[in-house]
Amino acid sequence: MTPVVAPVVTSQTVAVNRDVQSAARAAAARLRAEWASRGILAVNLISSPGAGKTSLLEATACHFAGKRKIAILVGDLATDRDAQRLAPLAPTVQLTTGGACHLELPLIQRGLDQLGTLDCEFLFIENVGNLVCPASHDLGEHVRVILLSTTEGDDKPAKYPKAFRTSQILVVSKTDLLPYVPFSVEAAIADAHSIQPDLDCVAVCSRSGDGIAEWCELLDWHRAALNSPKPA
Amino acid sequence: MHEASLVRSLLNQVTDLARQHGGGSVTEIRVEIGPLAGVEPLLVRSAFEQLVCGTELDDATLVIDEVPLVARCETCGEFAVDGFRFRCPGCDASRVTVVRGDEFRIASFTFAETAENPI
Ligand SMILES: Nc1nc2c(ncn2[C@@H]2O[C@H](COP(=O)(O)OP(=O)(O)O)[C@@H](O)[C@H]2O)c(=O)[nH]1
Ligand SMILES: [Mg+2]
Ligand SMILES: [Zn+2]
Repeated sequence: MTPVVAPVVTSQTVAVNRDVQSAARAAAARLRAEWASRGILAVNLISSPGAGKTSLLEATACHFAGKRKIAILVGDLATDRDAQRLAPLAPTVQLTTGGACHLELPLIQRGLDQLGTLDCEFLFIENVGNLVCPASHDLGEHVRVILLSTTEGDDKPAKYPKAFRTSQILVVSKTDLLPYVPFSVEAAIADAHSIQPDLDCVAVCSRSGDGIAEWCELLDWHRAALNSPKPA
Repeated sequence: MHEASLVRSLLNQVTDLARQHGGGSVTEIRVEIGPLAGVEPLLVRSAFEQLVCGTELDDATLVIDEVPLVARCETCGEFAVDGFRFRCPGCDASRVTVVRGDEFRIASFTFAETAENPI
């Protein structure tokens, strides 16, 4: 008699317990450490489209001219218009995402290759205009800056909790328009602080230059803190 | 909408892990998504259903555990965060640490091993 041979199916469950982005996060952490060791503060600017990121970078480059060296990576879905605005002011590389709504590390890496040897104190990364996806992607920055313009409404922070929770600086932009729009800087900051109490906040007008010196001081302060251990 | 790129990464990672474990057919993939994960569970599911077609994970079902947002106060311990207001209900402290709910995590996967039964 031949014995009966039956196939048995056993199932095995393997615990993984890791973030889907753990590899990207580790790569971002390596970049962050490398930049810090070279005294470069990396700043990731996020906002809705048109909140004034490129204008803020123009004003920043003018303020820092002759005092600090900066380099810029600027992301957009398409066109190099922002790079054309910024290139006369600082070494700039345009990153076009071809439709993707946020920047990811491989694009940053490509931009860095194009920039060549980084000889600067500040590396600014202007993200694609969007308050959702960029909040989930660590680009190796030391400081994430969220811009909120006065035309967007002071109730935005609670609508985009991840973007505000994961940022270190809030820039309220276009303060010249405050007389014309129902926007309370205090209310916006209070709302943002209920989500992230450690946010440093500054209000600016890139057109007139109001608040730009204060913003640049804040950047210097964060850069000075680069190599001192963070309080827990 | 960045769910597609994250789900693609999820599928690549599970494919690699399953191969490392001998490469049986994966029947279930379990993930955790919290309110601050930055991904929408419905969009994760539809991205999964599109991207898994024709791959070696084709037989897998995706189980999504929607986990709550939990933070810890150094003085009072853990609490559920309501409405993204990060304030301890015990002592009103606002400096609290998120301990759960800010990630899109791969929890586990299950695969079937078919063996000849040696009677
Ligand atoms: N009134 C006013 N308009 C501004 C200010 N900053 C930027 N803008 C305008 O807002 C629009 C979008 O600015 P831009 O810097 O390109 O925004 P981005 O898309 O975030 O890079 C442009 O028309 C700018 O001229 C400001 O401080 N005040
Ligand atoms: Mg721009
Ligand atoms: Zn407490």
